[in-house]
Amino acid sequence: MRRNMATLLSVVLLGLSLTACSGSNEASNNLKASSNPTSDTATNTKSNTETPALSGDDLAFSKFPKPVDVHIGMVVDPTDKTLPEGDSVSNNQYTRYLKEKYNINVIVDWTAATGNDFKQKVSLTIASGKLPDGMVVDDRSFMTKAASSGLLYDITDLFQQYQSSQVKDIMASTEGRAMENASYKGRMVALPNITVDTDGVHVLWIRKDWLDKLKLPVPKTLSDIEKTAKAFIDNKMGGNKTIGIAGPSKNSFPYSTFLVSSNNMGGFDPIFGAMDAYPGYWLDDGNGSVTYGTLTDKTKQTLALLADWYKKGLIDPEVGTRDNVGDPINANQAGIFFGPWWNGGYGNGDSFKNDPTANWQAYPVYSDDNKWNVHMKTTGSTYTVISKNAKPDVVKAILIMNNALVRDEATFDLSVNVGWYPLRNVMAAANETEYEYAELLKVLKGETNPEDYNKPNSLYKLMYADAKKVKNVIKPPFEDLNVSNFSTANFGDFQRLYSIMIGDRPFTTIPIDKKVYSVTYNQTETMETKWANLKKMEDETVLKIILGQASIDSFDKFVKNWKAQGGDEITAEVAGFLKK
Amino acid sequence: MVRNITLGSRTFEIANIILLGLLLIGCLYPLWYTFCVSISDKSAANAGLVTLYPIGFSLSPYKEIMGDPLFFNAFWISIQRTFLGTSVSLLITVLMAFPLSKPNREFKMRNTFMWILVFCMLFNGGLIPWYLTVQNYHLIDSIWALVLAGGVPVFDVILIMNFFRNLPKELNEAAVVDGAGPWSVLFRVYIPCSIPVLAAVTLFLGVYHWNEFFNGLVLMNTSAKYPLQTYIQQLVVNIPVGTNLTPEQYKKLSELSNRTLNSAKVFIAMVPMLIVYPFLQTYFVSGIMLGAVKE
Amino acid sequence: MKKRGHEKHYYLMLLPGMVWLVMFSIVPMFGILMAFQNYNPGAGLLKSEWVGLDNFKYMFQLNDSRTVIVNTFIIAVGKIVFNLLVPLIFAILLNELRSMRYKKLVQTVVYLPHFLSWVIMSTIVIGIFGYYGVVNTVIGMFGYDPKLFMADAGIFRQLVIGTDVWKEFGFNAIIYLAALTGINPNLYEAAAIDGANRWQLIRQVTLPALTTTVVLLGVLSLGNVLNAGFDQVYNLYNPLVYSTGDILDTWVYRLGLQNLQFSLATAAGLFKSAVSFVLIFISYRLAYHYADYTVF
Repeated sequence: MRRNMATLLSVVLLGLSLTACSGSNEASNNLKASSNPTSDTATNTKSNTETPALSGDDLAFSKFPKPVDVHIGMVVDPTDKTLPEGDSVSNNQYTRYLKEKYNINVIVDWTAATGNDFKQKVSLTIASGKLPDGMVVDDRSFMTKAASSGLLYDITDLFQQYQSSQVKDIMASTEGRAMENASYKGRMVALPNITVDTDGVHVLWIRKDWLDKLKLPVPKTLSDIEKTAKAFIDNKMGGNKTIGIAGPSKNSFPYSTFLVSSNNMGGFDPIFGAMDAYPGYWLDDGNGSVTYGTLTDKTKQTLALLADWYKKGLIDPEVGTRDNVGDPINANQAGIFFGPWWNGGYGNGDSFKNDPTANWQAYPVYSDDNKWNVHMKTTGSTYTVISKNAKPDVVKAILIMNNALVRDEATFDLSVNVGWYPLRNVMAAANETEYEYAELLKVLKGETNPEDYNKPNSLYKLMYADAKKVKNVIKPPFEDLNVSNFSTANFGDFQRLYSIMIGDRPFTTIPIDKKVYSVTYNQTETMETKWANLKKMEDETVLKIILGQASIDSFDKFVKNWKAQGGDEITAEVAGFLKK
Repeated sequence: MVRNITLGSRTFEIANIILLGLLLIGCLYPLWYTFCVSISDKSAANAGLVTLYPIGFSLSPYKEIMGDPLFFNAFWISIQRTFLGTSVSLLITVLMAFPLSKPNREFKMRNTFMWILVFCMLFNGGLIPWYLTVQNYHLIDSIWALVLAGGVPVFDVILIMNFFRNLPKELNEAAVVDGAGPWSVLFRVYIPCSIPVLAAVTLFLGVYHWNEFFNGLVLMNTSAKYPLQTYIQQLVVNIPVGTNLTPEQYKKLSELSNRTLNSAKVFIAMVPMLIVYPFLQTYFVSGIMLGAVKE
Repeated sequence: MKKRGHEKHYYLMLLPGMVWLVMFSIVPMFGILMAFQNYNPGAGLLKSEWVGLDNFKYMFQLNDSRTVIVNTFIIAVGKIVFNLLVPLIFAILLNELRSMRYKKLVQTVVYLPHFLSWVIMSTIVIGIFGYYGVVNTVIGMFGYDPKLFMADAGIFRQLVIGTDVWKEFGFNAIIYLAALTGINPNLYEAAAIDGANRWQLIRQVTLPALTTTVVLLGVLSLGNVLNAGFDQVYNLYNPLVYSTGDILDTWVYRLGLQNLQFSLATAAGLFKSAVSFVLIFISYRLAYHYADYTVF
């Protein structure tokens, strides 16, 4: 009887909390995940009883009766100074939060700096076969290697039980892609990372101030871009060494591929899209087979176009050999480049520092029949892997840590960088940036108040903080924001808001006509031995054609060689994914 | 040294001075460039604008690197490591070189040992077995891992061994006649006569330990235990707080280079070498009298 | 002379070094077995599947393996040759200087680029040879069009060798300088009294004294006959120069990077070591038979 009362009580409290926290209607319209937050009070009544009746969100946020030790390997940012005196990676507000609320004791076995250091440490750890209970790896091949070596815990069942409703909704919003991403041979072996879709939407970044000075319109199609680039160069808008279009460096690629499908700064992705070409992606033919996008005729035509532009001097002469993508952009030599939303703001901060009037604006690139075609990214690229030897309680603890992060990130004091949260693996609503774009505009125009976003359980964790600052950073008029509307007093805020309000404007406000997903974003078995060679051929051929070192006819030879050296085999394997 | 002051000789001298001067400039430029970038304004440097002279002025990368107490911690660890590592290595290297410099008839197993060493210099099991081995010795996170895990410096053993071998036989014979055992011969005769090569090897070992960063990364678990180079090379571009960037974006941003920071890192690490070398140089430049042999 | 009692002292002297060698070189050597397995970290070395020579077969069957090995060989040998000769010539020239101060200055400055990492040096090299770099500016003064050096596969290897020598010659000269100080000044005086001019002095006194060092370094550097320099090439290359610039290490890096292919990396390493060992052994025997000289 008492148990039923408790259940009834928690349902009532849940209901009350729902009405209190429902927030604005527009928010729920844009949400791809549900906005039903769980209330803390509901779980607290259950927190000290480990009864079998626990399920759903009660289980997802349950506190352990006895402390559970979780050993982790952790990535750290060595330049981060946000930890208060006396705190460390093993003892900070986040670890204390986990201890108090869930009786989870985080023990940091080792740390390494973001980037290559961490990669090195992870690969060594995997190679030695002794994984810590949990760690976040940033390369899918690490996850698959660990999985194929039998080092990972199969969390398929536990995940079903322990995921919070928020996490469930976020996973559902990816229509199964996140689950596939985190699985190996049909079993879930890692917690996936789910990042915003807009990271994979590459747009045109252009110096609007140069356009204005030359009284030119914003280019929409490829021929427009060609004319504009020529005008920039002829008029030496960037000085004597003006570059029309900046391109990839020696380390980056002309287009994102199915394995690395997002965040390609300085690539030519929109150009291919405008020609309806999708190199690097596996395309469904519609009749049971697949084609590798690089081999298509449309890709060939685009390469011919790029080669033509290069010959005419419209593209950076040092494309493909340049030390660093950002150089000509930050030096304000280049007037055009392509990349995702954050490339303007976060990505080219130095450009603004070198020239505060640099009015970088973002626009889609349209095909000749006025369509905006975009290839879409995979759901995420980092994975929380759990050691096979971890005890079940530890596995549950890690799942709970993930639930807690997703729900409570908005409540943390963010003056301590959230990167210190143990095993942080971002699961964001796929449309987080678009949501912020729309809402921040409202705040600016006075239609809503920053306080309206003070919702502790909101899916959009940074909204409140951003809403509070946006009026300090952006001045009216709010239609057609230009660099002059922004204050750079707090440069970090400037970068963030510039990226959101200008970088994400196209994706938020303009519908995409054609979204192309790759049939798979993962490697097949034969790829493990043959892909590196095929990729090498691809990279060489593409760049040689663009730079004019090889004629466009060499493309056909490449296609033949590609197919013969394992391409056909692999294509058949990928086609196997279609039959699922 | 008597020199002929002929016209040919004179021309040669001047040409030599000029040639060496050009080499000097050629080698100075990369250092000058690195220095300029490190004190330039970050945005200008990141745009690739700095070539011959600094643009703007900013000591912020230096402040950033040295402002952290971990920097001095790492500095101290490197000093310990270099001191311990160099002395241990040098001692053992010399101890090995001496018997190996004896001809086969005096030391029968000499060739065997020599080839074992050469073999070990060329073949290794790879990163993972080495790492697992060190782990099994429970040396992870200890300074002794840094000192010992690099293994025997076979190249230096061979260098010194070769030098010993070329010392006049009379030296050895004279000492033995005086009743000295091998230890005395080594420490009282061979070593004092080998100062140049020992100085060179000390430099090589010291430089190795000071510059080495990879072992520091994989054998130490936290940055509190990193030697200086490991600590420095892990510093990446500073992302503003509260940006909520995903790890992938973070990685991409850091790849976008932070030239001033990278250059400052290199410069700081190089300074001790700059200071130490002139001291060791005296051993290379001055002649050594080999007149210790009483004929 | 009774030297028999000395042998046990020799063993004693070798003892600490050999213990160190066993602990850190020989014990890990069991890892070479990974080259003959399909190493599975979960199973460990003892229980991973044995595949014999499959890893090697795989490496050599790939279409570009021949090109890659040839590139590696050419670059590595080029480096060996020039990294022997240039420091030698430099050391001799430096030795001829009369001004002690100038000598010290040059010596100190030229050894410093050794301490710069290739991450920094590559930026400098790419800048110098860039489209608007120094070299193209100079070429422009003679009326030629600017050339895209970094995209030119035809000169990439020379670029790699040349810039490596630039970076390392100062440091590599140290051992020659040390050897030069060991030359008895009396030898020079004696030869000068016999009427030798500067060139003859160099040929008759300086060079012979350096011969053993040069031969030793030469033979030992055969250990690097397939080490074309991962750091340097990785930071300088791009897809346009793969045909001449892709070396064993960068190739294995890309192959292995995709899947943490430990066995493959070990197999490549074993291949390199084996080739080096064979070459060193051969040159050792040749020196012994034809010059009656034991290199080490």
